[in-house]
Amino acid sequence: MNIASKMPHSPALAQAPSGKPPFLGFGLGLRTQHYDEVLAGNPAIDWFEVISENYMVPGGKPLHMLDRIRERYPVVMHGVSLSIASTAPPNFEYLHALRDLARRVEPKWISDHLCWTGVHGKNLHDLLPIPYTNEALDHVVSRVQLVQDYLGRALVLENVSTYVQFNNSEMTEWEFLSELSRRSGCWLLFDVNNVYVSAFNHGYDPRIFLEGIPADRVVQFHLAGHDHMGTYIIDTHDHPVCEDVWALYAAALKRFGRVSTMIERDDKIPPLDELMVEVDRTRQIAARILVNDGEQAG
Amino acid sequence: MSDLARQQNDFQRAILTGENAVLTEILDSPKEKRDALFGVYRNAYGSRLVESMRNDHDLLHSYLGDEMFDTMGKAYVADNPSQHPNVRWFSRALPEFLRSAEPYRNYPVLSDIAALERALNDAFDAEDAPVLALADITGFAPDAWAGLKFTPHPSARRLDVTTNASPIWLALKNDEVPPDATLLDERCHILVWRQDLMPMFRELAAEEAMMWDEAARGVPFGVLCSMLATNDDPDGAAARAAGYLHGWITSGLLRAVSSGD
Repeated sequence: MNIASKMPHSPALAQAPSGKPPFLGFGLGLRTQHYDEVLAGNPAIDWFEVISENYMVPGGKPLHMLDRIRERYPVVMHGVSLSIASTAPPNFEYLHALRDLARRVEPKWISDHLCWTGVHGKNLHDLLPIPYTNEALDHVVSRVQLVQDYLGRALVLENVSTYVQFNNSEMTEWEFLSELSRRSGCWLLFDVNNVYVSAFNHGYDPRIFLEGIPADRVVQFHLAGHDHMGTYIIDTHDHPVCEDVWALYAAALKRFGRVSTMIERDDKIPPLDELMVEVDRTRQIAARILVNDGEQAG
Repeated sequence: MSDLARQQNDFQRAILTGENAVLTEILDSPKEKRDALFGVYRNAYGSRLVESMRNDHDLLHSYLGDEMFDTMGKAYVADNPSQHPNVRWFSRALPEFLRSAEPYRNYPVLSDIAALERALNDAFDAEDAPVLALADITGFAPDAWAGLKFTPHPSARRLDVTTNASPIWLALKNDEVPPDATLLDERCHILVWRQDLMPMFRELAAEEAMMWDEAARGVPFGVLCSMLATNDDPDGAAARAAGYLHGWITSGLLRAVSSGD
């Protein structure tokens, strides 16, 4: 039995997830390879996103560097292990560590993924897919509410790249995300690359996904690269952003307006200059689209 | 069990064991069969964890080479499903695995290198704490010294190895050809810690290792001197103990001193 779903939602705590996260501009995922260059050069990056788990350690260099960087840049915490859709009991040790880190970092927001990472005490360290059923929706809504109450703030949840679809799904991914956001109050991180990857893998037009997400719930974009295998795409986040994803980003800007955007490279990390070129391109595309649409790019 | 719980159970089992029951609930895509698509998850599981082991055990990876390391890594993954949400802790049991699993148990240098790397990794992100300075101990009256107790810095770790893992590690770190692995006549005592932000280690003589271990257990300085006196020249024991203590303090190995009251 899911006890959380049987309990009335605390009205006092329910007020915590309020206030739309601010627009931060055009950012980059912080990687250890770039620590010294960032601190020495103060590159023109508006904000950094950090992988929460990399800093959920007792002390030493990771936290020291993070402290230095957050003195100069706005920081957002992005996790990979919240496992919000898992049917295993919530890992309160993990949540406690996440909350401690948030108190230290004071991030602009905390994000993770709409996925699960394991059950029965095991962790597969992957962003695993869920069926888009009403049962799964009820379950995830109750988990999001619990985590938001625990953290005292609204979560931001990201769509993941998926390689399989379940035959018992009762709605589309975008319908699931929209309803999750509406019912739980969580905000959405729209990973443009992940939408592109999932759309290719499952044979639908990514613009239908884009049109299906409520514009006022999206507070962040991710842009990344992938590996094309011919009949499917693997989301590796280890390549530059491809032209199709840049085009989808432009379409997302038209749909969602001014949204905090960042380049996310997780492997085969190139020199900072190379990533700065991509960050600059996010800024240029936003300036072109949003000015044409009568909005400030920031 | 709910449908979602059962499905997650089956999905996980399919990744970990290769059992295919969950495939009946998965759709083919317009361009690919479901087993190939599910294979992305199966392949990612092992390769992601072995990759994390390469990161944590960079020099063991250099020592073994890609093929041998990955074969070893896959065996470790099969034997040690991850139970922690943070992959940082996944390879913690590697030294014990290499000490006990065939064929690696026949090459004790592998376990020793892994243990040294684990200690350095642990020192790297160990808890922060103030470091004791020489000025902190000069204020004690001479008759208080016998009762002084010392607290190690949280990053400090002691380990003993039975092989020449230490010079092998150093050679690999410097991109030099490592010496042949040998079993030592006597165990090598190693102290690992973090100075400023940098993890480091050094070998200890047996006497200093004994004094460190006892000091870390809270044995007061006077007793430590008496213990050293049983080991070698009794008249020089206090001076030797003071020398070891001086080295620990200047290296940032101690966190605090108390008068033992």
